[in-house]
Amino acid sequence: MTAKDIIKIALNLVVIYVIGGLILAAVYARTSPIMYRNAEEQKKQALKELIPDADRIEKLGDWYIHEKHAEYFIARKGDETIGYIVQSFGKGYSSYINTLIAVDKDFKVQKINILGHAETPGLGDEIEADSFKGQFKNKDLDHLKVLKTDTTEYIQAISGATISTRAVSEDAVKNGVKFLIEKVKEGGSESGAAKHG
Amino acid sequence: MAQQSTVSYWELIKNGIIAENTIFKLALSLCPSIAVTNNLRNGVLMGVAVLFVQTMVNATISVMRKVIHPRIRLPIFMLVISGWVTIVDLSMAAFAPDAYKQMGLYIQLIVAFASILARAEMFASKNKIAPSMVDGIGMGLGFLFALTVISFFRELLGKGSLWGMPIVHTKPLLIMILPAGGFFAVGILMALFNWIDTRFLKKSTSGAH
Repeated sequence: MTAKDIIKIALNLVVIYVIGGLILAAVYARTSPIMYRNAEEQKKQALKELIPDADRIEKLGDWYIHEKHAEYFIARKGDETIGYIVQSFGKGYSSYINTLIAVDKDFKVQKINILGHAETPGLGDEIEADSFKGQFKNKDLDHLKVLKTDTTEYIQAISGATISTRAVSEDAVKNGVKFLIEKVKEGGSESGAAKHG
Repeated sequence: MAQQSTVSYWELIKNGIIAENTIFKLALSLCPSIAVTNNLRNGVLMGVAVLFVQTMVNATISVMRKVIHPRIRLPIFMLVISGWVTIVDLSMAAFAPDAYKQMGLYIQLIVAFASILARAEMFASKNKIAPSMVDGIGMGLGFLFALTVISFFRELLGKGSLWGMPIVHTKPLLIMILPAGGFFAVGILMALFNWIDTRFLKKSTSGAH
């Protein structure tokens, strides 16, 4: 192979990769603002679905779990506080599972929602199923434990996806609720809101 | 452009589905055939995504075949494949977020599929754009067919349901939806497919390699 060949090959590669890169950049530039808007919209929608009774859901502040930024919210109906929502992450099998958790005034889980993850398709993505998410209703901190046997008192593991189940139950939800209790209960909900507002 | 291909388009499609079926004959891309086929919906969605990417990649490679230096064809094929996968991924996330929610996980997996690279190398880099696209459609349909059959049996036996809807109400064979069951299903169906092919369909010689 002569020097001329080497230059020819290198140029060929460079030109095609630069063109490919430019095409991808153009596609990304066009789609990313739409994706961002979709994500915001989806989050708003998801918050509303979690506590449908609330007429206002306000952001209380930010917190960090697994070095990821998350937010927490207070849900009010009139002047009354009817619950809280916390965003949390769980370390799963192949991704961090982005979760929203709604609790009532007594910090019992009411509903959870999986916002995003990259778990194994067909196994780990069962965490999005309503039959799995429904298990969290009325669980308090002590009952957020994963069992591999039939259970209604605790959380039953999804067969083939114990790690993803654990990540949601014992990592994301448990730590999220724990954080809320520490933050809101001990700081007092109103002063807590003021501090972070 | 004059039609000069020696095989008809119908032959190309049949070749992709039967004689050179990606999974049952060439035994390529077995990873997704096990990983995503534990329910019918996943299998079908994955098959559709591959069908699209395979067709577009074949078309692009075919158009570019004269400007690619043969010594660096593989990195360029990879660029085309990952480029198309990224384009599909980004545009679906932006313009079809609902469908993306269900298919997003699979689309990114396609980058690593041997079958797509193999078709780019074996067919698209040597043929004109129209036959290359038809070949992509044929191979994609073959893949879709294989994934549909595998996931049909796995979901039916492993969960007693189809497309998420319960069908059988006895306790299912849980192993069928686990990875081990995937090997059983692929192996048994592959044997069955080849038996039917040699026994009833006319002997295909091209599947030998």
